[in-house]
Amino acid sequence: MKHRRHFLKSSTALIGLPVLNSLGFRRFASAAEPTTPPKRLVFLGFGWGITEETWYPDIKTPGPDYGLPAGLKPLARHKKDFSIVQGLWNQYSVEGHAGSTWWLSGANKFAQPGQSMHNTISADQVAAEQLGLHTRFSSLQLNTSESGEAAGHGPGLSMAWDRNGKPVAGLNDPVAAYHKLFSNDATPIEEQKGRLAEKRSVLDTVLENARSLQRGLGKDDNEKLNEYFQSIRDIETRLSKEEKWIGVPRPGAPIKEPRGGVEGKGSVALMYDLLVAAFQTDSTRVITYRQPGGGEFLNSIGVDVHPHDMSHYVTTKGEKLAASQKRDLTNSTLLAGLIDKLKATKEADGSSLFDHIALTYGSNIRSGHHLSNCPTLLTGGGAGIKLGENIVLPQNTPLCNVWLTMLHGVGVPAERHGDSTGVLNQIRA
Amino acid sequence: MPAHHRALLKSHCFKCHNADKQKGRIRLDDLPFTVTDAQTAERWQKILNALNSGEMPPQDEKPLADAEKTDLLDDLANTMVAARRLLADQKGAITMRRLNRREYQNTIRELLGVEIPVGELPSDTGSGNYDTVGANLFMSANQFEQYLALGRKALDAAFARALAATEERYWRYETEAISEKVAKVVEDQIDAKARAERWVQKVEEAAARPENSEIVAKLRAEVNNHEGRFRRLWKRIPGAPSPESFGFQTKENNADKANRALASYWLPYHQYYLEQPGIDTGMYLALPTEHPSQLENGAISFLLPWSFPSGVKWPAGNYLIRVRAALTGQGTPDRRFIEFGVNPRGNQSLSVHEVTGTMESPQTIEIPFFFGDAGAERADRTLYIREKGTHDHYLVTRLLAKEGAKQMEIGQGRPYAIWVDWLEIERVSDADRTVPPGLAALGDLPLDDEIKKPAVPALERVRTSFERFAKEAFRGREPGTKFIDGLIRKYQTRLSAGDHPVAAFKDCLAIVLSSPMFLYLAEPNLETKPRPLSDLELATRLSYFLWGAPPDLELRQLAANGELARPNVLTAQTKRLLDDPRSRGFSDAFTYQWLGLHRLDFFQVNLLKHRRFDNATKLAARDEIYETVAFLLRENQSIANLIRSDFAVINGVLAEYYRIPGVSGDQFRRVPLPTGSPRGGLLGMAAISLMGGNGEETSPVERGAWVLRKLLNDPPPPAPANIPQIARLAGKVLTTGERLQAHQDEAQCASCHRRIDPIGLGLENFDAVGTWRTQNTYVVKDDNGRPIPGEERTWTIDPAGQLHNGPKFKNYFELRNILASKEEEFARGITEGLIEYALGRPVGFSDEAFITVVVARTKQKNFAFREFVHAVVSSREFHTK
Repeated sequence: MKHRRHFLKSSTALIGLPVLNSLGFRRFASAAEPTTPPKRLVFLGFGWGITEETWYPDIKTPGPDYGLPAGLKPLARHKKDFSIVQGLWNQYSVEGHAGSTWWLSGANKFAQPGQSMHNTISADQVAAEQLGLHTRFSSLQLNTSESGEAAGHGPGLSMAWDRNGKPVAGLNDPVAAYHKLFSNDATPIEEQKGRLAEKRSVLDTVLENARSLQRGLGKDDNEKLNEYFQSIRDIETRLSKEEKWIGVPRPGAPIKEPRGGVEGKGSVALMYDLLVAAFQTDSTRVITYRQPGGGEFLNSIGVDVHPHDMSHYVTTKGEKLAASQKRDLTNSTLLAGLIDKLKATKEADGSSLFDHIALTYGSNIRSGHHLSNCPTLLTGGGAGIKLGENIVLPQNTPLCNVWLTMLHGVGVPAERHGDSTGVLNQIRA
Repeated sequence: MPAHHRALLKSHCFKCHNADKQKGRIRLDDLPFTVTDAQTAERWQKILNALNSGEMPPQDEKPLADAEKTDLLDDLANTMVAARRLLADQKGAITMRRLNRREYQNTIRELLGVEIPVGELPSDTGSGNYDTVGANLFMSANQFEQYLALGRKALDAAFARALAATEERYWRYETEAISEKVAKVVEDQIDAKARAERWVQKVEEAAARPENSEIVAKLRAEVNNHEGRFRRLWKRIPGAPSPESFGFQTKENNADKANRALASYWLPYHQYYLEQPGIDTGMYLALPTEHPSQLENGAISFLLPWSFPSGVKWPAGNYLIRVRAALTGQGTPDRRFIEFGVNPRGNQSLSVHEVTGTMESPQTIEIPFFFGDAGAERADRTLYIREKGTHDHYLVTRLLAKEGAKQMEIGQGRPYAIWVDWLEIERVSDADRTVPPGLAALGDLPLDDEIKKPAVPALERVRTSFERFAKEAFRGREPGTKFIDGLIRKYQTRLSAGDHPVAAFKDCLAIVLSSPMFLYLAEPNLETKPRPLSDLELATRLSYFLWGAPPDLELRQLAANGELARPNVLTAQTKRLLDDPRSRGFSDAFTYQWLGLHRLDFFQVNLLKHRRFDNATKLAARDEIYETVAFLLRENQSIANLIRSDFAVINGVLAEYYRIPGVSGDQFRRVPLPTGSPRGGLLGMAAISLMGGNGEETSPVERGAWVLRKLLNDPPPPAPANIPQIARLAGKVLTTGERLQAHQDEAQCASCHRRIDPIGLGLENFDAVGTWRTQNTYVVKDDNGRPIPGEERTWTIDPAGQLHNGPKFKNYFELRNILASKEEEFARGITEGLIEYALGRPVGFSDEAFITVVVARTKQKNFAFREFVHAVVSSREFHTK
């Protein structure tokens, strides 16, 4: 242990420390008082696409003066504050039943021959690596969807995929999510620290080996080996972040504990409330939410069509079409409510959460098994996105260009993302 | 920088950029023409940028004459490349490096006897240097954790394999089960159709009742008289029976099911299947018809069993898949290949096999398969056999159905080309395998972490195992007592936490595999001047050069005895390593990077436009390059064969593609070429043509630049920024040559393209997938990528041209002869590549003498491939840290 402490002392790593003498609850969870309200990134995914005839504005009326189609009518009061972007796709997406798995990564499922599943990092996790430095949670993954198969999301545990292309677990229960955000860990602090110590002992052992190797190395080789030391230091930093936050009380909850056992539409409303509360307390700056869209959701809005058939309304129309449209209306209504709350929640400087958020609402699936012109709605003032317009891009513009533009917009200077070819000036204000 | 350009600078630049006047704070009159420091390089770079962007000379000044400007830019751009190289020269210093991704995989394989997927690790290629160059091999926290996890996975796999060493498994899958399914589907379809017809009749009877006329008229109007949709509304027709009462029971509106059953589109093709001979003992690979959940007879998917029939899990290890198959004689001659792969949803198979058996005398094809993870999920243990090219893309499959229907009397489907009798899966016992050194080091410690109430081995035995394993993993280096102490502490902590001793043991071994002594190839040197390598270091360098893997026992023993550095021993060992199959770890890895083969995966081939170049052919085309290089290395033939040769190294798939008769079988082998064949040499290989395009059209610029870089060792400078784009030709109907001619009109373009374009145009007879053509067509497309009618032109390709300041050529063959005459430049290029690859550092100006020696030595042996390797291995540089 002595080695490690000595090692840590000499490290240059910066660990964001929580500020305890807070003025109000909102900074309980964040590391330092930001000079301006921080930028935040949200991705909401809804699996089986939309009803294309009644959700997309007419591509012949690009710009601000477009007629709001029926599926978006509930959003009418926010029309100036969101844009629909058309012409986007992920060129490698091949799964007609996966609206979310590759949505935020743009990866090629079959990039590895002989392997059944490949993915790469999702855009939210790219942002979390930077925006997550000073909050208790680097990012939050919410997920109240039925199974990925039933709701058209495809494989995954949430919308998020880590740097190795592995699925990031999601919080499935609004009650559990509430407690994670606002209830203090009852595990004895010593036990929490014991778990961290176990991880550190591994680091100590390899460091011992690194020091043996270091003996006799010349200057250049030493610099090379320093990368190894730095890697271990980075892990130390992360463990230290966990450790530092162990004793820090969570902020008081701005909302009351949600009811348990709520499914479908009700769970969306609860998770939207939690999303606003998490931002309000600066517990995190990056959230994804895998929304329900399968049987539970349809039942909760009084529809008994099989969800997959609903998305294949084109062949027969009838009640499948009606179900699909009702689903759209419900989702648009819920989203409009979320935007209301984001606008109503004030930051310290008098601006609103909405002004600093970059929110994407969409899916990799259009409808049926169609994976082009992915439905994409952008809102919030956080990423400098042009709002209030029907933006029609050239057909098959990489969706990853939107992600790249969003990342840049919230101050994450990624060089590229997925198959991106550059930022999209057409969607910037 | 050639001195004669000074006059040009003097007349056009010095007026504003001199000692007294320094417009834009740029002074040029004192600029040295020899670039030896970064400052001077930056000043010249500014000139290059200003000329390229057209910023200088200013509008109101006298412009440079085109020819002069072109030459100036040409020389300046190349001067800058040379200057950057000079300034980056490491003067022979070799930075310590970690194992790159492929070496890591190979090293684990040699140590533990298992091949694990390493796709999570960074590929380590693509930095512009070889993946052995230490300076570019980085480490990150994430990666450290990946090593920890991968090491644990490898140990799991290795232990499991050792525990199952002598287990043999066998299963035969009789394919007539699929025929039976077809029969069942036919039966069901006929039955469902009959039921649907009866239901329709009843619905219509109800609809025809006079008292229903009003509602029926209303309903018909609602659905525009569409019969099917009308019947979906049966509930509102009083007296109409439910589809459920006719057996259509699903969760959906069952009228849809009944409506669909009425059509039963594929029923005739299914019935046709049942008329074929041999379906009672086998099956025919058909076109996919129904959804695979209903009927899958376009491919045979078969599961590597979990635990069937013995109830004991099928272990990881080496397997053999056998397929007994025959050609029906009904397919066209090109339809004689099957694909084998894992996970039928993917579109890239693992291998392709030629079927030569007949219905009278079927043949058994044997396919080796390494099954790495006994716990693999369903998709990753689902193997398949299918006809080549039938599952690449759904649009292609649709076209096959359309074309096939014309050959069928019943007007649908496609003639069956291949019949399959049965499939076998056999696990091959490891009993004869040499125990891998990593496992041997563990002694007789228990390996099974599933045993209940395990015996806890004495700590001393565990300690000894750690020591031996670590020394083996560290390629002979002593691990150090403190390190072993750490492992023991960790082991004991886990034991006292209640872990299974074998699991705790594996966790500790995984730490060894994440430690720097395993991950880094270190050659300590505290002195500022170079020192000779120790014998053990030499052994390591040699084996990572020629195998991409750690030294084996023989090499290590020779090193321990101090014999390895003796020239005759070293030469013999070099030869032994090259003769070993592991040398593919060198030739494939080197070839991939040397020739820039990553470009093969840049784009998807347009399979609708290039129908013959299906995914299986692409796989073979890629292998052709590797196999040709491996052949030259194995046979010690001249590398000049890569520019021009009278043979090709191909297999049945490629012979079919190149239309070379008389080649059958899956093995790549040397095939003499007919006179006049454009094949023979890299430029005749389909994969090389593919890289010089976008999978749809050719790119003469890409091709010309590749030839300059790879064959002539005269790389054009990197594409400069801010050059004004030529936009005036957009949408015009021009030949490729006419379009490229525009490059010659602008000095900024011409300075490089006068070298590049003629070569690329000389290769235009190869289309984007390497098929020989004499004509080409250009079609103008609209914003949505659709061809505009009438905006089209077809012309006869004219490959004639002239190398810049060089000889003329009339056609591809003459161009190839010119390139072949420059084999010494080519040899120089490969020498530079080998030095960088072998030493793990960029080649610099200080290597000039070294390169010259290697080229001179190999020239005496007619550039035989192994001479290059021997020349590098015996060099002083290879023996020096």
